[in-house]
Amino acid sequence: MELQLQNLRRQYGTKCAVDNVSIHFKPGVYGLLGANGAGKTTLMRMICGVLKPTSGSILLDGKTMQELGERYYTHLGYMPQDFGFYPDFTAREFMLYMAAVKGLDKKSAKARTEELLKLVNLCDVADKKIKSYSGGMKQRLGIAQAELNDPDILILDEPTAGLDPKERVRFRNIISDFAKDKIVILSTHIVSDVSYISDIILMMKQGKIVLQGPMETITNSIQGKVWEVMVDERKAAQYSRNLHVVNLHHEGNLVRLRIVDDAAPAPDASIVEPSLEDLFLYHFSEDVQNERSDDDENLD
Amino acid sequence: MMKTLIKYEFLKVLRKKSTLIAIAVSLLITAVFFALPITQFQIYNQDGVLRGLEGIAYEKEQYANISVPLTNEYVTEAIQDVQALFENPDNIGYDGNEEFLIEDAYWNGIAPRENLLGLIARNYAAPNESVGYNALTGLDVSGGADFYQARQDKIETILNNPSNELSEAEKDFWRNMNSNVEEPFQYGYFGGWEIIISAFELFMFAILAICIVIAPVFAGEYQAGTDAVILSGKYGKTKLITAKIIAALIFGVLAFTLHILVAFGIPLVAFGADGWNLPLQINGTTVPYPLTFLEGTFINLAVIYMVLIAMIGLTLFLSAKMKSPYLVLIVMVPVLFIPMFLTPNGTTGIYNLLVLLTPYQSLVPRFSSYLSYQFGSVILDAFAMRGLVYAILTLILLPLARISFKKHQVA
Repeated sequence: MELQLQNLRRQYGTKCAVDNVSIHFKPGVYGLLGANGAGKTTLMRMICGVLKPTSGSILLDGKTMQELGERYYTHLGYMPQDFGFYPDFTAREFMLYMAAVKGLDKKSAKARTEELLKLVNLCDVADKKIKSYSGGMKQRLGIAQAELNDPDILILDEPTAGLDPKERVRFRNIISDFAKDKIVILSTHIVSDVSYISDIILMMKQGKIVLQGPMETITNSIQGKVWEVMVDERKAAQYSRNLHVVNLHHEGNLVRLRIVDDAAPAPDASIVEPSLEDLFLYHFSEDVQNERSDDDENLD
Repeated sequence: MMKTLIKYEFLKVLRKKSTLIAIAVSLLITAVFFALPITQFQIYNQDGVLRGLEGIAYEKEQYANISVPLTNEYVTEAIQDVQALFENPDNIGYDGNEEFLIEDAYWNGIAPRENLLGLIARNYAAPNESVGYNALTGLDVSGGADFYQARQDKIETILNNPSNELSEAEKDFWRNMNSNVEEPFQYGYFGGWEIIISAFELFMFAILAICIVIAPVFAGEYQAGTDAVILSGKYGKTKLITAKIIAALIFGVLAFTLHILVAFGIPLVAFGADGWNLPLQINGTTVPYPLTFLEGTFINLAVIYMVLIAMIGLTLFLSAKMKSPYLVLIVMVPVLFIPMFLTPNGTTGIYNLLVLLTPYQSLVPRFSSYLSYQFGSVILDAFAMRGLVYAILTLILLPLARISFKKHQVA
């Protein structure tokens, strides 16, 4: 199974949400990383056929989405970000309904529903109305519905958003269980989620894929560029303004800084092993700063 | 597959609290409106006033004696009886405007069949003139009443009234229809049906309630954010849309039928179903339709169901187009209720002909109006025209709703 995005582009007025993206997906877990507004959701919606690209094409095993028609969707499982459920349905009803939407016959729908509800640990509450579910339970139900048709392509948009750490770990494990021999595209802005389960990382910024590569080697691009240095607070503030400071930790009167830079920021700086988070913050520090200041403004 | 999809789409509609509230409120409004004629019913006799079910029972007893064919002989005798009563000055009262019968002459000679005498008197009066039994005194029936000739003459007057602007073809259309009206008319009690045929417009509340309930069929998916997940399913853009439309139609028709049962049940239980097989002409002699009360009711009901289905189609189309169910209702409420205030000032001219095709006005049967629509040599009466208009609207709106949801972009 191969999924190809060719020069995919989506324009809203003058803003280009997805800008000329070309990716060749083969079975594996792809972690789509990017700050909010980077274009991840737009890209996923286009892959799922619920949003038309302004230009470009999506091919599954060499055939376009239009050529495949309904058949394209039989390969697809989609869990959108923050999608609503039908609050007056029970989980079982919701699953059976989604199974019908996905074209499963009655017998398979029933069997698959029970199997998946068990897998996501919702069997005991399967006949309770969804409106009584917690956020984590809804997320688990969300991924269960995406898996109903045992899709070859599983698209998960921010699946761990809003979950507490315990639920996130649980959820990551569920995704790993489902991922075998599939193309799983998982978007998030939580770096640790993708670092645990992704085989390949795609970094998206302002509608473009700025970096892509296997989990093991993607940090190579900043190999030898991640530094740690202990400085006083005045110097720490100065470094924060001028350099890519990806972490800052107070230790007594001093501050331990983690900096990504081509050259050593100070003579006593030592090189450390780069992490995915370093890479993310290196690329998105401005976006993250903007997000923070937006949040601050909102709080004000 | 389709059955399952319809079942769940139907459940989606049915499970919402707002559905139960909207339907319960509209059923209550319908029940209250149709019960009012019973609670407010009153009839007088020499001993005073009889109200409610007691009054209805008394009125039905009175009608037992006048459930007769309205032959020319019977009508002649009835007119002569009234004229004889007016010959005795002791029987006559005068209110400064017109003469009327008093005391025993009224209670024994008029009251038991006052409605019938009024019907006969109006048959001889000019169109749109409101007269009572006392108008019968001026008629010359020495050579027989010639009731049905008078009816024909009155109909001709209506047809030839220049303000009605009927073409010769339209006049012939109505003459032809009238020729199928059976004579003599069988008279009898039709209290329940009289209420039903005069209150069809009250079903507007039921139509509104149904539109409120189905407004979220598509827009609710956009609002809840479930559009992305269902549109990415195999049948999300095909069978699911059909299932949604069918479920909405089934719900609409069932909920509306429930309203009909309540609305018709109340007067028919209180007043009885008597009169179902009597001709509409005993409620107005110039009615051109050769129909009984039951047939007339069914024909208008068929039109109302067509209006309902078209309004469901419009609601679904707007629902597929708009982002929220509230926006759908902002459009639907004026569409349904503004025509209530557009009173037609006749049955001619483009304005009137169009106003009389609006959803609200289309619920009113207007059996006595010679309302016709001519397209070249084809002439359609109001029922046929309304049926056709709403069938066409349905055939346009449902596919449009389908296309709109199919093309919906989750952005």
